[in-house]
Parts: sequence; structure tokens; C-alpha cells
Amino acid sequence: MSTALTRNFSIIAHIDHGKTTLSDRLLEATQTITDRQRQDQLLDSMDLERERGITIKSHPVTMSYKARDGKTYQLNLLDTPGHVDFSYEVSRSLAACEGALLLIDAAQGVEAQTMANVHLAHQQNLTVIPVINKIDLPAADIPAVKKQLEDIIAIPGEEAIPASAKMGIGISDILEAIVERIPPPAEPIDDRLRALVFDSVFDTYRGVVSYVRVISGEIRRGTAIEMFSTGKRYEVKETGVFTPKQTPRDRLVTGDVGYLIANMKSSSEVKIGDTITDAQRPCSEALPGFKEIQPMVFAGIYPVSSDDFEQLKVAMGKLQINDAAFTFQAESSAALGFGFRCGFLGLLHMEIVQERLRREFDMDVISTYPGVIYHVKKTDGEQIEVDNPSYLPEPQVIEEIQEPIVRVFIMVPNENIGDMMQLVADKRGELENTETLDTTRVLLTAILPLNEILVDFNDKLKSVTRGYGSMDYEHAGYRPAKLVKMEMMISGEPVDAFSTIVHRDKAESRGRELAAKLKEVIPQQMFVVAIQAAIGGKIIARESISAMRKNVTAKCYGGDITRKRKLLEKQKEGKKRMKAIGKVNIPQEAFIQVLKTSN
Amino acid sequence: MAAISHLYVHIPFCHHICPYCGFYKHQPGRLANRAFVDALLDELRLAARDTDLALETIFFGGGTPTLLSPSHLERLLTGLAGLTDLSGVREWTLEANPATFDLAKASLLRDLGVTRISLGVQSWQTDTLATLGRDHSPEQAEAAYHVLREAGFASVGIDLIFSVPGQTAAGWAADLDKAIALGADHVSAYNLTYEEDTEFLTRHERGELNSDEDRDASLFYLAIDTLEGAGYRHYEISNYARPGHESLHNQAYWSGADYLGIGPGAVSTVEGRRWKSLPDTAAWIARIQAGQPAHTELEHLTDEDRRLERLALQFRTAEGIPAAIVAGGDLRSDPVSSLIEQGLIEIAPPGDRLRLTRRGKALADSVTAALA
Ligand SMILES: Nc1nc2c(ncn2[C@@H]2O[C@H](COP(=O)(O)OP(=O)(O)O)[C@@H](O)[C@H]2O)c(=O)[nH]1
Ligand code: SF4
Ligand SMILES: [Mg+2]
Repeated sequence: MSTALTRNFSIIAHIDHGKTTLSDRLLEATQTITDRQRQDQLLDSMDLERERGITIKSHPVTMSYKARDGKTYQLNLLDTPGHVDFSYEVSRSLAACEGALLLIDAAQGVEAQTMANVHLAHQQNLTVIPVINKIDLPAADIPAVKKQLEDIIAIPGEEAIPASAKMGIGISDILEAIVERIPPPAEPIDDRLRALVFDSVFDTYRGVVSYVRVISGEIRRGTAIEMFSTGKRYEVKETGVFTPKQTPRDRLVTGDVGYLIANMKSSSEVKIGDTITDAQRPCSEALPGFKEIQPMVFAGIYPVSSDDFEQLKVAMGKLQINDAAFTFQAESSAALGFGFRCGFLGLLHMEIVQERLRREFDMDVISTYPGVIYHVKKTDGEQIEVDNPSYLPEPQVIEEIQEPIVRVFIMVPNENIGDMMQLVADKRGELENTETLDTTRVLLTAILPLNEILVDFNDKLKSVTRGYGSMDYEHAGYRPAKLVKMEMMISGEPVDAFSTIVHRDKAESRGRELAAKLKEVIPQQMFVVAIQAAIGGKIIARESISAMRKNVTAKCYGGDITRKRKLLEKQKEGKKRMKAIGKVNIPQEAFIQVLKTSN
Repeated sequence: MAAISHLYVHIPFCHHICPYCGFYKHQPGRLANRAFVDALLDELRLAARDTDLALETIFFGGGTPTLLSPSHLERLLTGLAGLTDLSGVREWTLEANPATFDLAKASLLRDLGVTRISLGVQSWQTDTLATLGRDHSPEQAEAAYHVLREAGFASVGIDLIFSVPGQTAAGWAADLDKAIALGADHVSAYNLTYEEDTEFLTRHERGELNSDEDRDASLFYLAIDTLEGAGYRHYEISNYARPGHESLHNQAYWSGADYLGIGPGAVSTVEGRRWKSLPDTAAWIARIQAGQPAHTELEHLTDEDRRLERLALQFRTAEGIPAAIVAGGDLRSDPVSSLIEQGLIEIAPPGDRLRLTRRGKALADSVTAALA
């Protein structure tokens, strides 16, 4: 069967430039959904996705389009997660396409995320169709956007299609361009089954649903398939396409985008980027580019109430079924009790996981300061990876520590360039490139340690630019840095939850900040409590909490006895919830307070 | 039948309500004091049906017991003597406020058997009295003291309050000196606390009245030094006495003895049961008149409750507690050993008791919590 009538594409855009709105318009124009089914922003189906206006999971959809040439084409739109945390999934989705619509807001112009996504599209050799959206806006400036396209992205301005997703302008031009400009799926080299898994979801009733693009061959119910990376075999129970809801179809053939269900119990059995082949007649090589998704950001997640540990474990297990990129492992902390060391793709991913634990599982959790994976070369030549500061070897056996770095694209108004460069420098970054975008904005490209943009970089960027700046990033490997483990000590005892790996030059200020916060929340004791930040035993910052001087009830007579006893019972009960750091008893809430304010 | 040696009688009337006071009290209003006095006697009569009264100490507290008229006092005290044999009473204390009694009333009390007066002076400084909202002057308090001596009371105690906002160390020292100079047999020195449901607490929360731990601590130590220097024994956190003038009644509370309380808001503890007489004078009278016990908040005390109570109360006294009631008596392990090491508690003679040190006294609540 020929693939001549199939087109696979996705839409890449900076957030809010209109991707969801345009998707909806395309679905309507191709009568994939009727007006009655219409629901605003149809493709963002998770509550969290709607609220935040981000796409976390892929939402592919198959449309049928009768083109001006009289033929009916099958158009497969692969909506992609819009955030760099999910860039691996983005690149897998793009790998399942031959082309992409590059959507740019006519009033905003090229933004940071536009750049990052265009990079990915180019890496996949996709045909890019620029669409200038929101031309209905009074502030729309089509010539300026065309110029940016030419100057920054090197795409001829005349290729851009002016459109308004909101008003329905330019929609048929876009559909025509998809048919005309995007090439059909390549003819396969043979008829053996090769299907690329670009996403998966877990369905309580049906198990794992794998989203696939068939590169060659065909799959149908009953096919015995084999997963290339694991060698595991399954029997296919159902195949189908997205309309946009999952609709069974007899088979999926070369060029098709659809789903398959086999008897897999957990998302961890199917790896995004993996190749599915026919167990009877396997292909000889996997499709290019598969790699295991590696978590980039790590943090401890602890139940606020230690009684909830088991429940949290169950909740995390359930989350993982649907989110193979999320990892967790039990750990314990003197300050926080029992919890989990978790790995995330990035900060947004971490936030989403925490949010889902709260909403979907009603868990009250607290997380420790997020960190990254360090590559540590020891003096004996051994190479290790460290994601938890507690496991960093002693300084004398470390030859070198390397930290992950990222390339950050930053758009800033001209007047904020100075402040922005200062912020980059404060975060130990180096500017790679500065490009004028238009008369008011520049694009800065900088290399920064991932660790430095984890927490407040975006917030600072927004405040420096009064909300006008934007950023995005891509991973750029590892490089050596002067990193040390900083420990916080209370009365000489290290408190694990606050150990961090920091750059030597930042240790003092971070140490002072944490010491001050701990001082605020630790209750006065009957003795002086020293709070210290230390590197390898050397104190770099200190605070002290003076001893309590007087705490005694004035009157205790016949009428007060019960009240006095109840108070004592409460204190006794409260002691159970205290964490003893040496002689110092500290309520767990105090630690939580500090983690809340310092994250 | 349970033998009762200690009786508390609550007289909830005050002329004027002090804004810091957390006791159950109110203005006498139009309540018939005669009915009140009769109800007190009836409540005692009811209680006597299932207890064996063998009184050793009696305490009339309030409120202001001296607000009752001489005839009502006479009716109450003679009524009491008619109900039970008072020959075993070793101490009979009554709380008195300045400007609420004269020599005749004082002499009457003395004649009817009261042995000991606790006089609510609170301060000898005009400005501190004003902050406290007291309705008497230092001169009236001094006159009241002399009246009590004139009436022949051999044991007169003075109540003082310290760490009142605005009070200076010099002011507090002068308060103590004055009590010593007058020859008070007993001094209660209370750190001002902001009690629930008081005007002071509201004003404290609004920031008008401060509390200051450093001021609390230094005035507390000043009291200990001054009074001990003048021959008083610091026998409980807030109480000082010349030898032989310690309050037997209060010591009974602290050692965990049973006691009977009558009058609205009074608490009783008898054989592991504790209750409170209704803290509502009118309702309390109505119940008693109907021949019913007017009890509320009944509790059954477990052994652990009693252990914690001893720790909470007796630990505050100079004798301290038997070491056996904390940490199973193991003095070498934590938390006992580290509290000893920190100089907050010490082993008291003959070696099987624990008591607070000078610094431990100031931190008694925290130390107690650490041992609980
Ligand atoms: N004026 C105008 N607004 C649009 C247009 N397309 C989308 N929007 C609005 O832009 C906002 C973001 O659109 P959305 O589709 O959610 O963007 P996404 O974040 O890229 O998915 C929404 O308020 C849309 O209504 C357009 O063509 N014209
Ligand atoms: S006189 Fe005593 S009992 Fe009455 S209100 Fe004042 S402090 Fe309270
Ligand atoms: Mg969207």
C-alpha cells in the first residue's frame, strides 16, 4: 500500500502562540470533530494541562482531508509536549513526523521556545512550514516576524502563511501546505515491521497503550510483537487510530500513526523511542536514536506525616505506571524521616509529579532542594555518578567533579540586556551569542549550569524583564566545576536534608541564607544552639539561637492540675513528632517550613 | 469511704474585675449572698454523704472571700463547724483583698477559726497597680496588712506580681523589700501571664502589652535572691515562706493528695475521680437547691495521669520528686543525665529524689516536658 496520501506533522510553538487553538481549527475544518463534540482546547485533556496551558502527554489525532487536488489525504497531527523537560518526548514525536508547523504569534514574534523547538525540528530534518498566527490582533506585525524568520531561523519570509486560528483565517492554506510541502512517509526498504513508540499512557482497564508510528510493515490484532530494547514479546490485542479518541482499526500500515494495546502491565515495559517489530519476522536493526530517558533533576520527596509513607509509595508506583520518566527509591533522612529519592526530567516535571501526588492521590508531601547528577572522577580513576549530596565522596578522593550544563535561549527587551547579562553571570553562565531580533528585543544564547537554572532563574528573568522576557534551554553536556558539598549543622550534627552540592564561590551566601532560615524556625532550647554551614569541616557561615531563659507556669493549684497535665501530655505527644538532631529536638514542621521557603 | 483532709471553698465575687485575672469570678450583682452561703453548706453536706471529712487544711479562695458581709461569713464559718469536726484543722487560709474588710471583719474571721491570710497586694507601686487595673492604693494595702496583724493573725502572706509591662527592676525590688519590711510570713511572687479570656490577653495580642523573657528571668532571679537573702525559703516556683509558714494546703495539692472543692468553679479530686462544681453561680445554686450534685467535667485519673501530675506539680517544689517516677528511676541515662549535665536538675538528698536547680526552676516547664 502506498503512503502517498499520508502526511505526518506536528505543531511547534512558544507557549500561548496558539497551538491548541490551531489544532482545534484543523480538527473542525476536516470535520474530525463536529461542533457538538467541540469543547474548547480539545487536545489538552488532563486538568493540569488545561490549567497551565501546557501539554504533558502527546495527543495525536488522525484527520481526513479532501485537498484541492481532489484526493483525500490522511493527516496525522502529533501534538507534542511544549516544555523542554519533555524534549526527549518532543524529539521522539518529531521523529514520527516528516514536517512541522512552526507557529509564531504575529504580535510577539519569535520567542525562546520557538528557537529550542526549531533546533529540534532541524535535527530531525523536518520540513518546516512557518505560520504567522493571530494576524487579527491590532499589534500584529507580519513583516517584522518575516524578517525574524529570515534573520534568526533562516527561513524565507515568503514561505510563511498568515493566519488567525481564532478567527479561522488561513486554515485551508495551512491544510494545503501540509499536503503540498510535507513529503509523504518514505517508501520502506522492506516489508518487515518497524514501529516507533513515541509515547505511552496507562489505562486502568486496558493496560498500557503504546502510541506508535509505523515506519514499515503492518501490525494487527494477534500479531506477535517484540520490543527491540528488552526483547520481550507480546501479543497485540487491539490496534487503532486517534479520532481524537482511541478508535479501533483492523490494522496499522506503513506511514500510519496510531496506538496498540498488548498485555503490558506498566509503562516501564514500554520505552519511548523503542522499536516494535514482528517476533516472527523481526527487522535486523532498531530505528535510530533510541535512548533510555534519564532523569536530570533529583530531589527527596517525603510525606509530611510519617504515617503516610506506605501510601505515598503506592501513589508513586501508580504515577510511574503512567510516567516512566519518573523514578523513585526509598531513602531516609534524620530530619524528615522516611521518604523517597526521586528523579525527574526537569523542574516542571518535578512540579507536575508533586501536584499529581497532591491532587490525584491526596498526599501531603514536601520535597528537598532539587539537585542534578554530577559526574565524579575519583583519584583512583573510578568514575561515579552522584545524585544525592550524601553520597559525594570525601574531597580528598575527588579528582574532578563535572556538572550538567544547558544552552539557554533568552529573549529580552533591549533595555534589560545589562541586567540579564548580570543575571547570567551571577548564575555562573557564559554568553555564547547575542542577536538582534527586532527593534526592541535581543536573543541571548548562553551556557549555564543546569543546577543554576533549576530554582529561580525563570522567576528572576521575569522580574528583570517585568514579564517580557522568555527562556528555553537544551542540554549541552557536562563540564568540570569547582563544586563542594556544603553541610548544615545544628549543634555540630549535620542535617542531611539540607546538604547540598554548591559551587565553591556560592557556598557562603547559600550557607548564610539557610542558616538564617533555620534560625527562624528552630524553637529555642534550654541551651544555646549553633547553626553552621560547613564545607569539609570548615565553617563558612554561622548563626546561633540563644538559650531559653524562662519558661515556667506561674500558678499551679487545685483547679489547674488537669490543664497542666494535658499540656504535658501534648508536649509528650509533640516529642514524638520531633526529630532529634543530637540533643536538639526540632519539630518536623520546622524543616518543612525551611524547605518550603528555600525551594 | 474516702477520707478527705483538705477542703477548698470558692467565693467567686469581686467588686471590680481585674483585667488580667483568669479565675472564675464575677461581680456579686443582685445575687442573694444568703442563698449562696447556704448552697455552699448544702454542697458540703451532699459531699459529706459519701466522704469521710477529717479536715486538716481549709482554704477559702476566690474571687474575694472578704467581700462577704460579716453576717454571711459568720453563717458560713459556723455552718461549716456545725457540719464537721474542725478540731484536726492545722491551717485555715483565707484570701483577702485590700479595702474589702475592716478590723471587725478581720477579728470575726480570726475568732471563727481562720489562721492564715493571703493578702492580694500585687504591687506597692501606684503605676504598676494602675497597669494591673487594681482598685486599691498602696496605702490601702498597707493599712489592710496592719489591720490583719491587729486582728491577731499569726500568719499573713502577701501576693505580688512581677514582669508587669512598665515595671522596672527597681520597682520590683522595692515591692519585695516592702513585703519583707512589713514582716510578711509568706510571699507569693507570680510572674504575670496572659490568661485565656482576659482583657490582658486581647491587649497582649494587639501588641499593647508586651511579654519579655529576659525581664521575666531577671525579675524571677531577683525575687529568689532578695527573699532568700531575707530568710525566706523558696519552697515552690512562686512561693516563699519563713520557716513554718509554708502553705500546707497547697503542698497537699502538689504532693497529689485528695481534696474536696466546693463553690462554683471549684475542683475536687477524690480517689482517682476529679470533677468541677459548675462554674456558673446561678446554675450551681439552682442545682444544689434541687438537692442534686452540681458537678461537671468528670474525669477518671489513670496511674499515668497521676504520675504526670506529680511530675508537673511536685517537681516545682523544693523537695522535688522521687526519681522513680521519671525514666524508671534510671539517673544515668537520658534525659535525666543530660539535664543534670546541663545544670538544670540535681539529685536531692537522700539521693533518690530529683529537683530543679536555680536555672532549672526558671525553665521548669521545659525541663518537665523533657522528662515526661
Ligand atoms: N487574537 C487571537 N488570539 C488567539 C489566536 N490563536 C490563539 N489565540 C489566543 O491565544 C491564547 C493562547 O492560545 P493557545 O491555543 O492555548 O496557545 P498554546 O499555548 O500555543 O496552545 C488563547 O487565549 C487563545 O484564545 C488568534 O489567531 N488570534
Ligand atoms: S480581685 Fe483577685 S479574683 Fe478578683 S478579679 Fe482581681 S485578681 Fe481576680
Ligand atoms: Mg496549548
